[in-house]
Parts: sequence; C-alpha cells; structure tokens
Amino acid sequence: MAEESESTLQLPPSTAAEGEGPTEVSPETATPEPPSSAAVSPGTEEPAGDTKKKIDVLLKAVGDTPIMKTKKWAVERTRTIQGLIDFIKKFLKLVASEQLFIYVNQSFAPSPDQEVGTLYECFGSDGKLVLHYCKSQAWG
Amino acid sequence: MEEDEFFGEKTFQHFCAEFIKHSQQISDGWEWRTSKDCSEGYMCKTQFQMKPGTLVSHPGTSAHVQTCLPVEEALELPPDDFEVTETTAGIEVVKYEYHVLYSCSYQVPVLYFRASFLDGRPLALKDIWEGIHECYKSQLRQEPWDTITQQEHPVLGQPFFVLHPCKTNEFMTPVLENSRKINRSVNYITSWLSVVGPVVGLNLPLSYASITSQDESVP
Repeated sequence: MAEESESTLQLPPSTAAEGEGPTEVSPETATPEPPSSAAVSPGTEEPAGDTKKKIDVLLKAVGDTPIMKTKKWAVERTRTIQGLIDFIKKFLKLVASEQLFIYVNQSFAPSPDQEVGTLYECFGSDGKLVLHYCKSQAWG
Repeated sequence: MEEDEFFGEKTFQHFCAEFIKHSQQISDGWEWRTSKDCSEGYMCKTQFQMKPGTLVSHPGTSAHVQTCLPVEEALELPPDDFEVTETTAGIEVVKYEYHVLYSCSYQVPVLYFRASFLDGRPLALKDIWEGIHECYKSQLRQEPWDTITQQEHPVLGQPFFVLHPCKTNEFMTPVLENSRKINRSVNYITSWLSVVGPVVGLNLPLSYASITSQDESVP
C-alpha cells in the first residue's frame, strides 16, 4: 500500500459519542501505525484483526469549496460521515450557517450515521476511499 | 448554460423512473402515482419507524403495510389482547410517508412528508422534529419553521410537511457541474434525495449510489 507518509495524517479519535469532531489536529511525519485500542470509541467492542485498520480517505473539494491542504487522511472504520463532516467544517473554519456535504461517487450523499468502513467496502478502490465534499447553504 | 440545465417535469419523471427501477430491484418500496385528472405524477414511499413513547397503543395490523417493511428486528408487537394503557415506557409505531413531487415554480423536486400513529393520529411538526438527527437540528437552528412548512399536497389536497426547496439549486449545482466536467450523468433525484432525505428520517440505502452517476456513453 503506497502511503505518502508526510501527507497521511491521523484523524484524531472521537472524544465521546459519534458526531463530535476532534478539537485539535496534530500532524505526524512518520507513517502512522494502527492505533492501540485506546483510539477506539468507548463502548465499542474490541474489533478483531483487519477491522482495526484505518481507512485511507482522499478528500476532494467540489465547486467553490476551499481545498484542504491535507487531502489524505487515515480514518477509523467506525468514524461516521457526520463525524467526518464536523471535522472538515472545523478544519475549513466554516461558520455555523454553512453546511458541508460529503459524496461518494461524486454525487451520492451517504446518511450521517454511515460508517467510513462500510463506505470503503462499497466504494473503495486502490486501497482508498475517495470522498468529495461540498460547502453549501441547503436550508434556511 | 447548457439546455440540460433545465430541470423540467419530463426530466423529473425520467429520473424518478430510473430511481424506482432501482428501488424495485432492492425492494425499497418506492412507487409512482399519478393523479386521476391531470398528468402530474409523484413518487412515494411509506415507512414505519419505532418511537419510544409514553402511550402504548394497540398496534393492530395496519392495512397500509407495504411490501417492504424496513428492517426492524426489535419489532415486538404486544399480543392482540393487549390493553390500551398509559405507561411510562413503551414503543410506538409511527408511519412515515414521503412524497417526491415536482415544483413548477422552483423547477426542482420537493419532498413532502407526514407522519401518523397507527391509529391515524397525525404527528405534529414538534414531534417529527424530535426524531430528526441531531446534526440537522443545529443546522436548522432548532427552529424548523422556516425550512419545514406545512402545505397542502398539490395532488392529494391533504396537509403535508414540506422541506423548502428554495436552496435546492444551491447545493445541487456544484454536484451537477462537477459531473458534467468529468462526463458523467447524474440521477438528479437520487442525488438530491440522498441529501435531503436524512434530514427528515429518510435514509437511502447505499446501493442507490451506483445509479446516481454513470459514465456518459460517447456519442
């Protein structure tokens, strides 16, 4: 698996229940090792073998959405779409009134509770999952 | 702008037909309905959800059970002779109906929905609101009134809640433009519904993503 170590960053684990984004991002220069069980969200069972491996996610911007400097992230399988959205919103410093949508296949928005691991199994290729994100005003 | 930017009623019907084809393949329960006196048509789906409630009502066997009841393994209906009582804990079954219609004024699809208990009592917006995913609540600023309004269903003439379509073009346009750039066609309905559906409890199975976008055949 080809990994550009300097651009593959760890997505910090959820501090609590799903949906809460991380508060701080610390870049790592070394190739990230699979985290210990401490990185697994509390309350989940200890996953066996492969399920502990993180997913390589490639984030691509759509439309006028700002492009993230770091596009490639290692994400836990159990991270939800909503968790990822919260993270990108914080990363891009979007204001509360701006919404962010994530798409697979560049056009389908998975529901917020969908897990990255499941999406990788359905839409991943070449060892990674490509997700497109788009900033928009959808309501209000 | 190209001519296919215009999302007319024919285009709407075409994408709905494609959507329903896939729905039938995966038994997802969507149907097409036409009104008797006009050529308008719309897509609809009925879905049942379990809600924790204070009133345990006799569930009965609903005549409206569609062929594809969504998976609810926890569906434990009390036996038929169960009394209607008020208890502090209980499960209520709520019937949700989702209708996708075409809006001539906005030239986009619009999502109509309503919910009722099995005995026919409709849910108020406040109750529906409680069932909405947390992440949307903050987006809709805890006050759904501007975004979700109650309107008369254009064909059935009954009150439904409607997700306001005024911003639909805003979030659809980047997706459509992006697809045009890479020469792929997008099923507008699938893409749109995948975005707006979850806001009101309607989650599309992932397999729809395979029909959202297809490579255009080279002319």
